[in-house]
Amino acid sequence: MGKDFITRRAFLGSVKSSVGKSIILLSSSAIVAACRDSKFARAAGEGFVNLNETEASEFEAIAGRILPSTTSPGAKEAGVVYFIDNVLDDSRGAEFDVLKKGLQELRASASQKFNSPSFFSLNEAQQDSLLRQAESTAFFSTMRYLVIAGMFALPEYGGNKDSVGYDLMGFDDRHSWLSPYGYYDADYLEKGE
Amino acid sequence: MAELQSVSFSTREEVDFVVIGSGSAGGIIAKELATAGHSVVVLEQGPYLQASDFKHDEWGYEHNYDLTWSARKGNVQTFRKNENEEAEPREAVLRYAHNVGGSSVHYSGNFWRLRPIDFNEASVRGTIPGTNFVDWPITYEDLEPYYTKVDWEIGVSGLQGPWDPYRSRDYPCPPMPIKGSDVLLERAAKSLGLNPYPAPVAILSAPHNGRPGCIHCGYCNGYGCEVNAKSSSMVAMIPLALASGNCELRTMATVSRINTNDGGRVNEVVYFDSNGVEQAQKTRAAVVCANGAETPRLLLMSSSNIFPDGLANSSGSVGQNLMFNGYSSVTGLFDEPVNAWKSIPATRVVHDFYELDPSLGFYGGGGIDGRHPSAGTPLKFALGAHDLFGGPNWGSEFKDSLAFQFSHCAAFDGHTTSLPLSSNNVTLDPTYKDSFGRPAIRCTYMDHPDDLSTMKWFKDKSIELMEAAGANRISGSYPESGQTGNVHLLGTCRMGSDPANSVINADHRAHDVPNLFTCDGSSLVTSSRGQPTMTIMALAFRAADLINEAARRNEI
Repeated sequence: MGKDFITRRAFLGSVKSSVGKSIILLSSSAIVAACRDSKFARAAGEGFVNLNETEASEFEAIAGRILPSTTSPGAKEAGVVYFIDNVLDDSRGAEFDVLKKGLQELRASASQKFNSPSFFSLNEAQQDSLLRQAESTAFFSTMRYLVIAGMFALPEYGGNKDSVGYDLMGFDDRHSWLSPYGYYDADYLEKGE
Repeated sequence: MAELQSVSFSTREEVDFVVIGSGSAGGIIAKELATAGHSVVVLEQGPYLQASDFKHDEWGYEHNYDLTWSARKGNVQTFRKNENEEAEPREAVLRYAHNVGGSSVHYSGNFWRLRPIDFNEASVRGTIPGTNFVDWPITYEDLEPYYTKVDWEIGVSGLQGPWDPYRSRDYPCPPMPIKGSDVLLERAAKSLGLNPYPAPVAILSAPHNGRPGCIHCGYCNGYGCEVNAKSSSMVAMIPLALASGNCELRTMATVSRINTNDGGRVNEVVYFDSNGVEQAQKTRAAVVCANGAETPRLLLMSSSNIFPDGLANSSGSVGQNLMFNGYSSVTGLFDEPVNAWKSIPATRVVHDFYELDPSLGFYGGGGIDGRHPSAGTPLKFALGAHDLFGGPNWGSEFKDSLAFQFSHCAAFDGHTTSLPLSSNNVTLDPTYKDSFGRPAIRCTYMDHPDDLSTMKWFKDKSIELMEAAGANRISGSYPESGQTGNVHLLGTCRMGSDPANSVINADHRAHDVPNLFTCDGSSLVTSSRGQPTMTIMALAFRAADLINEAARRNEI
């Protein structure tokens, strides 16, 4: 296993909140089905499931700075905010609380520093300066975690729309590959090593 | 989920064996006992998934723990580094599957045999003060026929290497095609005068036993195989156990206690069924294969007037001597696309450092293989990439770096020994309970200084290899301040000849309870060089043979 990443994840675990609940056995297909439902709901104009309109606009703006739209699609085009909306159900309640509280503080900074009622209405340089100040907070690390997850998780969870996250990485989620897989093994086979 | 086609037993009907856990060991033992004609009930805490249930779902498996037990599913565990600390609850500390087939469903399938030295290293090297480092009560020769049985019945691909011990039969399948990351490792190792060779893996390179060869999709480590090319006990053993007509597999059955009669013999196994209702299965004997964390917890939870310190625990060794294996990881960036994210985790291994030179001043050894640093998955890579090569961890520059690094990187990973210590253990947490009301698993663990020195040595050697491979940038690490969790759960009910410092004898029978057997990672006496499952499976075939023989002699 990728042992070196376990502790990083463990930090985000909402341990205490889930203890004592009855055993929840959400199979991945059940989660995916729920996500699909919410996607249809959005398409029908029913909006977000867990986020209110302000949160959705602000989180989308933050996501857009963490993985910006450049010559290639970023978090906005990937629909990361929909991923965040989908996964912030009660099993990630602790993370949602961190986001809500952090967002309040971020909006307070936007008001104080730039006399703006919101983060999303600031220009990019202003947004980046506020995020840089928040870099060491639990809010920012949770936001970064969910934005990256929304960019690179299976599209069924609501983000990574049209696999733009995979494309960015040069990753292709194919069912099968044939050797050679890259430059060095092709060279090895050609030289008959 | 699969249909359970099997015989059905009443809980009041005394069966020959209850097997607790259906993983690497439990699946094999259930199949071997049932096909020998014994009535067997397998109690498995998770569901019976099939190839068609598995997906390339990194978020679901790695972040929602869909295939593993965790706090969010009601199985909180606690962790501390030493007994003076108060253990803190965590999402997952000792990580293991909760499905039929256990962690053999989602493992990487690196199947290194032990070598003769592993079994008598304490005698050859000398014991190490302050540790419980001892010889095994069995030898490589005792286990060799069962390693070969694993090769053929479970399904292993490989090629006998220059350092490998004697084998009685060739591998059933040829080695897997080499990956770019292993071309880099092989060329670098040869330039340093080392002897890299094809990694033995429990993944079929060609059709075998009615299963297809690997299609190299890249999702092994942490994932269930979607074509049954990975050789889990779920695909290789459980169907045979059920087909025997003597084995009932009860899924979503969580064992809470093993009861004994006044004579100190096991007579029933208590569990919560899929509806959460407590049941008790009457049985003539029990085989606990619940893994190195759950097996000791169950024995400790099964204390009674006759066994006040826990079942089979007169030695006090139940839960002790927990060994994780150490590791190091060195990542390099290369000019051309390596694409190590395709196909299986590792196709070459360097075993020249199986035993480090004692003159270094510390005990240890291990192997190095070539991999992708994030097991080939994009999300894990994106989350960890910044820690490898620095730079900003958000914004456009970060985004650009991901685009290049994911395909152009290779990792040389070290897999190393751990020493058995009384202070590294599984105990019952005094405060936290799981959703069934069972005391939470409390893990206390700090790597021995020799284990840390070994990890550092392998990190440094891997950097040397990475330089020889021509990497442009190199980043290496090992858990310098000690590990805080792992997936290798070894040594916690170890076998031994001396009932004063071991839990089971060489036949896997508990010293204290004649009709209780345990077999899984907890049985290991020493840690292996970081790839224990091949040995767990070989032990399971051997244990089943010995249990079947004892049953024939009416000596259960």
